[in-house]
Amino acid sequence: MNNLEDVESIKKYLDDRLDNASSAEDVLKIKLEFLGKKGFISKMLADMSKIPAEKRKEYGIKINSLKDEIEGVIELHSKKYDGSSVSQYSDLYKSLPGTKPNIGHLHIITTAISEITGVFVPLGFTRTRYPEVEREYFAFEALNMPETHPARDEWETFFIDSPTDEKLGRLVITPHTSSGQVKEMLKGDLPIRMLNISRCGRRQIDISHVPSFYQFEGLVVDKNVNITHLIGVLNYFARNFFGPDRKIRLRPYHFRFTEPSFEVDIDCGVCHGKGCRLCKSGWLELGGAGMVHPNVLKAGGIDSEIYTGFAFGWGVERTYMMKSGTKIDDIRHLFSNDLRFLEQF
Amino acid sequence: MNISIPYSWLKDYIKTDAKPEAIAEALSLHSFSVEKITDVDDDNIFEIEVTPNRGDALSVLGVARELMVVLPRKGFKCEWVKKDTPRSETKENKDTIDVSISDKTLVPRFSAVIMDNVKYGQSPKIIRSRLEKVGIRPLGNIIDVTNYMMVDRGQPMHVFDYDKILGHKMIVRESSEGEVVQTLDGVERKLPAGVIVIEDGDGRLIDLCGIMGAKNSEVDENTKKILLFVQVYDPVKIRKASMSLGHRTDAALRFEKGIDYEGVIPALWESVGMVEKLSGATVSSDLIDIVNFERPEKLIKIDVDKVNKISGVGINKDEVFSILDSLGFEKVGEDLVKVPSWRYEDIDIPEDIAEEVIRIYGYHALPEVNLSGEVPLKEKDVSFYWEKVIKYFLKYNGFFECYTYSSTSIRNVGEDALKIQNPLSEDMSHLKTSLIPQLLEVVEKNSGFSEIMKVFEIASVYKNSFDDVNKIPDQPIKIGIVTKGVDYKDLKGILSSLAHTLGLSYEKSEEILSSSPINEHGDSILSVEIDFYSLVEGATKDRVYTPITNFNFIREDLTFEVPAGVLYPQIKRIIVESDERIDKLEFKDIYNNYLTFSIEYLDSKKQISSEDTQEIRKKIFKNLEKIGVTLKV
Repeated sequence: MNNLEDVESIKKYLDDRLDNASSAEDVLKIKLEFLGKKGFISKMLADMSKIPAEKRKEYGIKINSLKDEIEGVIELHSKKYDGSSVSQYSDLYKSLPGTKPNIGHLHIITTAISEITGVFVPLGFTRTRYPEVEREYFAFEALNMPETHPARDEWETFFIDSPTDEKLGRLVITPHTSSGQVKEMLKGDLPIRMLNISRCGRRQIDISHVPSFYQFEGLVVDKNVNITHLIGVLNYFARNFFGPDRKIRLRPYHFRFTEPSFEVDIDCGVCHGKGCRLCKSGWLELGGAGMVHPNVLKAGGIDSEIYTGFAFGWGVERTYMMKSGTKIDDIRHLFSNDLRFLEQF
Repeated sequence: MNISIPYSWLKDYIKTDAKPEAIAEALSLHSFSVEKITDVDDDNIFEIEVTPNRGDALSVLGVARELMVVLPRKGFKCEWVKKDTPRSETKENKDTIDVSISDKTLVPRFSAVIMDNVKYGQSPKIIRSRLEKVGIRPLGNIIDVTNYMMVDRGQPMHVFDYDKILGHKMIVRESSEGEVVQTLDGVERKLPAGVIVIEDGDGRLIDLCGIMGAKNSEVDENTKKILLFVQVYDPVKIRKASMSLGHRTDAALRFEKGIDYEGVIPALWESVGMVEKLSGATVSSDLIDIVNFERPEKLIKIDVDKVNKISGVGINKDEVFSILDSLGFEKVGEDLVKVPSWRYEDIDIPEDIAEEVIRIYGYHALPEVNLSGEVPLKEKDVSFYWEKVIKYFLKYNGFFECYTYSSTSIRNVGEDALKIQNPLSEDMSHLKTSLIPQLLEVVEKNSGFSEIMKVFEIASVYKNSFDDVNKIPDQPIKIGIVTKGVDYKDLKGILSSLAHTLGLSYEKSEEILSSSPINEHGDSILSVEIDFYSLVEGATKDRVYTPITNFNFIREDLTFEVPAGVLYPQIKRIIVESDERIDKLEFKDIYNNYLTFSIEYLDSKKQISSEDTQEIRKKIFKNLEKIGVTLKV
């Protein structure tokens, strides 16, 4: 067996031995047999003196390479029994929870904004952002709300302590995304399909109001746009955001910047408008919408004899909470930044 | 504004076979939202949210008028059963009041009647019960009439004890600043300038007009004569006064929305009739009716095409006129209508007419149509894409995203920060100038959550510097990051990796990161704030491909001893610039001032040899020696 010419036989013998091995102990025995002090390799090296001097170098290289190869093969086999001492516990080991990579959490508002955007983009809407701290002119006057108008009461507006601008009025935290409407129109780029999602603020804090919040606002201005298109867009939103079997309805309302104005309801996901214990009337209030008031188009430099438009907009947080059944009972959680809350999303 | 209307009261005006639920639905779909129906005894009370433009509907009369239009459209019978009270006779014309009005615009219409032989007492049960159902406390047969009429007709009224109007004289004027009036609720109110008030012959203020009467002229159990008082005031003046006094009464809320000019006199006679009946009083004066302004008729041209341009369906001309007629818009000539007096303030333009027609036709009856027309091609705001990339990058690196309020306390901002005039609380008095202080509070507040915490927010901060064009403060978007228990170098690595993910060039990345230093707050808390748009400006999806060679690189670690004053970037630059075959250079380890680098040598043209690397290494040593950096031996 120790004939080096018969390297192939040695390898074959090794393979046979290893095939019959059934434990780490077996492999260890085989290792000693081949690589131990009294093993084949040692014997071969001892035989070196018998080799003619001129061939010794070649012989040495061959042995070394054989040794490397044997080591490799045995190593490979012994891996089979790696941890063989725990092999009987392997089921337990595998039943343990996986080691999770350290992943954080996006806020529910981010998720909501991203889903809402995802619905409107295929309809040709382009997302924009408009400033939160704005002049009264864009938040009110340009929207057909003169300073003395009682409609302004509806907006619990924060005012900033800063000099009043002669033309644009006081500095406010915009109470709604509609302050972006006239600014978008003034870009002079028609038609418009805008989706403005921005931060707003109102002087309210309770279970369903926070002083900082997000609204999304759709604005379409084009030739031949009417209420039926608004219904079309809102139903598209209802189906894609809330579910394929949902629909909206419009009811009369009043905003100074739209005429006519609507309140938008969505049918209850359980009874679909019939009325049930959960929703009472069959419908849930989503938010406001309307046909853009000619005075607003005028403020935006648009001829209301040629163009018409519609707008809709409401709170991102509330809309998402209505959808997801997240059971968030108090909107203030969203801004509390309690990590025990955030990690749930 | 929400109002409560009992079903039983509505029956004074209309007779219908519609059940309360049907009434609520018809109103909600065509007029205004019925928020709820409360069952009380054998009555049903509707709570109705009347929109600000519909001052005319803040009354039983107004709601009944609306029901006359909408119930028949829903297939219900609805019949008008109310009869107006005729004008009372003047029994004995002996009493007068001397009225002077300083400025006609303050009181477009001033009307009153004086009554004698008042017997003060309790109102009958039906009156008291109706008032209680709408949340008004009964206060005796005279005051109750005025409150009753406000709900019934939407016309706020006031009643004076005639004998307490000294000199039987009334001067309607604007207050001067600092004048004081004690109102019926006993509160002494110091007035700003410009509030409409009435002064009597003795110079006393006897009415805070349109808001609340004065204590000194109130009706009590000894009252014998009264002055019943129905007015139309300048709505803007009433609103301003009521807001600045912080006294928002039901009367003020109605006056500021505008009063039916032609409803004034019928309401006055109705109340006179009631007072006669309830207290046995008789009219003892002529009707005083000072009309300071004649309102011209308001005629509007009906454009059926315009209605349908808005509705998107074909409502025919007959139906348009029939709907308008049912709402009280009288047809004048071929295509004009006269706006009814109770809608005078609200209806001006063809769009207003379209709203009236279409809401009665029914918004819910309109079909759904997809947007056609050209899809606008707008330049896309790429910042939204990068915002998403950044947020996801941070999320998958273990960060929690936070949203904090825009306002914070002064201790979190400088004196220079924008201040809110009417903050909700002292803790929210200023606009934030940095995201970091509130994020530090988040970490502090959550200190028990975990030893390692990583939070971020992407939001605007608010500068006290102004954009010249828009005249608004600069509101740059920032990325705020706060960590606890994270190694300085690890946070720095996250930022470099973020810059790499965004495709930033090495120079841009260095520029931004060096201008956004990581701050140490102690307790192993770190923070960094990066300007969002600066980051986005350099971001790109483009990548340049470097051909992959088939030659292998040789890697080795070298450790250098670094003298004081020499910093990593300098050493790195010198090494990299020593030879172009230095393919990669990475920091590997630091021990005191011994820095270990891992260097990869690669020649793209041939297999690099150990002789080559030896040569390169020599160059590196030579260059580093110049700044005193030597190989550790």
